[in-house]
Amino acid sequence: MNEQRRVVITGMGTVNASGAGATDAVLSSLALRRSAIRAVRTFATDGCPSRLGAEVEESVLTTRLHPDVARRLSRVCQLTVVACRLAVEDSRIEGGPQLGVVVGTEYGDIRSTVDFVEGFIRYRHSGLSPMTFPNVLMSSMAGAAAIAIGAKAPSVTVNQATVAGDLAVARAAALVAGGRATAVVAGGVDELCEALYRRLAQMGALSPMRGMGVEGCHPFAPDHNGPVLGEGATFLVLEDLAYARARGATIRAEVLGAAWGNIPTAPHTARRSRADAHSPVLRLLDHSGIAPRALARCYGSGNGDPEVDDWERALLARDLPDDSCRPGLWPPVSLAPLFGQHAGLGALRVAAGALDVTQGTGPVLVHGIARGGCRTAILVGSPV
Amino acid sequence: MTQKEVLDELKAILVERLMFDPSRVAEVTSETRLPAGVEGSLGLDSLDFLELSITIEHRFGIVIDGETQDLTETFFSLDSLSRFVLGRMGVRDSGRETMTGIVVSGLGVVGPYGAGAKTFWAGLAAGACPIRPITLFDTDGFRSRIAAEVPADVVAGLGPSRRRSRADRLALAAAHEAVADAGLSPRDLARAALIVGAIGGGMLEGEDWYWEETRTGRPSPGIGALRSILPSTHAETLGHELRLGGPRETVVMACASGAASIALGADLIRDGVVPLVLAGGVDALTRICFMGFNALKLLDPEPCRPFDRTRRGMSIGEAAAFLVLEDAEHCQARGGRDYGKLRGAGITTDAHHITAPHSEGEGMIRAMTLALDAARVTAAEIQYVNAHGTGTQQNDRTEALALRRVFGDGGVLVSSIKSMVGHTMAAAGAIEAVATLLTLQHGMIPPTAHLTDPDPEIPFDCIAGVARPSQIELALSNSFGFGGQNATLVFQK
Repeated sequence: MNEQRRVVITGMGTVNASGAGATDAVLSSLALRRSAIRAVRTFATDGCPSRLGAEVEESVLTTRLHPDVARRLSRVCQLTVVACRLAVEDSRIEGGPQLGVVVGTEYGDIRSTVDFVEGFIRYRHSGLSPMTFPNVLMSSMAGAAAIAIGAKAPSVTVNQATVAGDLAVARAAALVAGGRATAVVAGGVDELCEALYRRLAQMGALSPMRGMGVEGCHPFAPDHNGPVLGEGATFLVLEDLAYARARGATIRAEVLGAAWGNIPTAPHTARRSRADAHSPVLRLLDHSGIAPRALARCYGSGNGDPEVDDWERALLARDLPDDSCRPGLWPPVSLAPLFGQHAGLGALRVAAGALDVTQGTGPVLVHGIARGGCRTAILVGSPV
Repeated sequence: MTQKEVLDELKAILVERLMFDPSRVAEVTSETRLPAGVEGSLGLDSLDFLELSITIEHRFGIVIDGETQDLTETFFSLDSLSRFVLGRMGVRDSGRETMTGIVVSGLGVVGPYGAGAKTFWAGLAAGACPIRPITLFDTDGFRSRIAAEVPADVVAGLGPSRRRSRADRLALAAAHEAVADAGLSPRDLARAALIVGAIGGGMLEGEDWYWEETRTGRPSPGIGALRSILPSTHAETLGHELRLGGPRETVVMACASGAASIALGADLIRDGVVPLVLAGGVDALTRICFMGFNALKLLDPEPCRPFDRTRRGMSIGEAAAFLVLEDAEHCQARGGRDYGKLRGAGITTDAHHITAPHSEGEGMIRAMTLALDAARVTAAEIQYVNAHGTGTQQNDRTEALALRRVFGDGGVLVSSIKSMVGHTMAAAGAIEAVATLLTLQHGMIPPTAHLTDPDPEIPFDCIAGVARPSQIELALSNSFGFGGQNATLVFQK
C-alpha cells in the first residue's frame, strides 16, 4: 500500500446565498444561523408548485470577475472560479503541477445545456453556439477553475446527487493522502436556474413534496416535506501536512480520514430499512482509531427529503448507537435550512466541522447519504 | 512482518484459542467486525477480548497497557487490531496489505461491433469500420451525418428497456460481462468499488422528452426520463443491479473520463481501500453531442482518418466498456483471470484553454511521464501506444509532438482505434484500455483504418490499414479531453 500522508485544510472560499469570501466569510455565515431561503426572485414561479430558493446575488459575481473573464464563463463556471480563487488566496498556495481540483456537482451546467438546445430549436443550425457547447460538459467548471488558479495536477469532476460536495472532498483527500497531488482545491457547485427548478418542482422533488404541508426546509423534523434548492460554490484547499508546514500555511484543521461507499438501492430511491454492510462511518472510525464517544458533533446531509432524512437517521443509529456516543450528537446538524440544497453544501459541512475544531471541540463527523445509496463520511479534527 | 502476516496469525488465534470453527474463520476478512452486538460480527465479548489480548501479548511480544486493555472499545475489526499490533511492534507504515500489483481480471464491451469483448477484438483485428449514417435521430442539414452506433439488433437484445436509458443498458451489459468474465462471486461484489466515467448520461431520452414538449407546447408525460439524464444514474443502476457495496463514483473528465475512472479505481486498490474495482466508461449517442461537435466543425463528413495528412476531424461513436481491476494477490488467491497488469497511471491538467490542448502538449507529456514513473519503466521499454488519435488536425498534431518528446521520432508503434469505432466519448478511454490489453494478449496491433497518406509531421509507424502481428510486453494508452484533461495508462502483458 502507498504510504499515506496527513491531509490538512489550509484555505476556504465560498459564494453562497448568505455571502461570499474566505474563511472569515464562511465562519460568519455559519455563525449567523440566518436562513437565506426566500421567494425566488430571478424568475417567475407562477404555476409552479414551489416558490422558495436560496439565491446568490449577481453583484457577488460581477464585483469579483473582470467582464472580459466573465464573458467567456457560464454562470456556474463563474461561481466555481470565484470560490476557488477565494480559497486559493486564503491558503496563499500557488498554482502548478502540484495543485489539483476536484469539483462535485449534482446538476452541472443545465442552463447552458438548455440554451444550446433552444438555440437549435429556434434557429436550427445557425442557432448552435460553439461557445456554449463546451459548457454542456459537466467538467467545464473544473476546467475553468484549473485555468483560473493554474492547477495542473488532476482536475476531476464527480457527479452525484445530494452529496457531491462531500464526495469531492473525500476524493481530494485520497489524492493528497496517496501522494498524487500535494494540494487539491475541492468542493461543490450548483446553480439555480428556471428550467431545472420548474422540472424538479413538477416532478415533486422539491418542498412541498406531493403537495403536503407548508413549503420550507425542515430536515429531520416531523414536518419535513422536501428540500428547497439553493445555489453556490464552496471550496476548500486540502494539503499535505508536511508541505503546509514547510511553506508556513495557516492550518485550519486536519482531515483525519474520508471514506465513501454504496448501499445497493434502486436508482433515485431511499429505503430506511436498507442497512449498510460496509459502513464508511465504521471504516473511518476504525481506521482513525477514534471511538464514537470522542465525536463532538455530526453534520448530516439531511435536507428535508423525508425518505432520505429518515434513512440517514436510521443508518447513523445502527452505526453509532446512542449509548456509544456523547449525548446531544443526534440528530445530525443540517446546513440545508441556511443555504438551500446544492452541491456546495458538502464542502460547507466540512468547513463547518473544521471551524468547530478550531474552537476546541473534539473530532467532527461529516456524514452524507443520497437517494440511490451513495454514502460518505469525513472525519475532521485538530492537527497534532 | 507485514499486515497480512499479522492478520493470518490473528486468524490462527481465533481458531486455536477462541475455538472458532476454521470454516467460519476462513470467511473472515480484515473488515470483519469483532464486538458482540454488531450485525455480521464475530460476536466477541469481554472475555473473548481478554483471551485475545493475552495471546497477542505472548505471540507478538508486545504489551497491551491499561488504556487499551478494553479492546471492545478500541477495535472494531481485525484490520484495526492488526495495525495496532504492527504499531506496537514498531513496524512503520502499518497500513493495510502491501499491494504487489494490480491485474485486470475481467473485460466487458458493448460497442459498434456488437456485444462482447471477443466481438470487439475480432472487429479491431479485421480492421473493420462500422462508422455509418446515423439512424438514432434526424441529421438533416449537418456537415457530418455519420457515427459508429451500436447496432439496433444488439441494443434490442440487451433486455428490457422500460425506465432504463440506452446508455444504462449499454453499461449494464458491459459490466455484467466483465464481472462474469472475472468470475466474481456475490461476496466479491459486495466489497467491490465502482467507478464510472460518463458524460451524456441518459440525455438521449431526455432530449426525446424535451423535443416532444417543445413541439407540442404541452407538458409531456415522459418527464420521468429526466430522472436519468444525469451521468450518476449509470453508477446507481450498476451498483444496484450488481449489488456492489464498495465506494462508488461517477467521474466526468470529458473524453478522458473512461481512462481516468480506471486510474482512480486503481488508486483505491493501491491505497488498500478495496481489493477489487469495476471501472470503465459509457456514453450513448446524443443529439447534443452530435450537434455540438458539428458546431465546432470537428466532425469529418467521412469516416475519420487519424494521422492522415488529409484528416478533417473525428467521427463520434457510442459504447460501454468495463474492466475488473484487482489486487494481484487477491486475484491469484481466488484463481482469477489475468489479462495483464495495470502498471501505472498519470492524470494531469493543461490549465490552458477550455477546448484546445496546450500547443506544445505540455500536459500530455506530463501525463505520460507520470504514468511511466508510476510503472517504473522507461519510455524505451514501451513498444506500443494506443493513441487518443481523434483525427482532428489539432489533437493529432499535438499528441504527435508529445509522443516525440517522450519517445523520440519513430520510437514507438502507434495506432488509433477511433478510426474504426469512432470517438466514444466517456467510454473511449475504457474501450481503448480493453483494446490495449487485448493487443498484449493476442500479440497483434490493431490498425489505424483509412490511413493512406501519413502526415509527415507525425513521424511514427501508425499501423496503416491492417492489423500487425507483434509480441508486445508493455503498452501505453492515451486519453485527452476538453478542459486540457489528460490521462495515461501503462499496461504490461
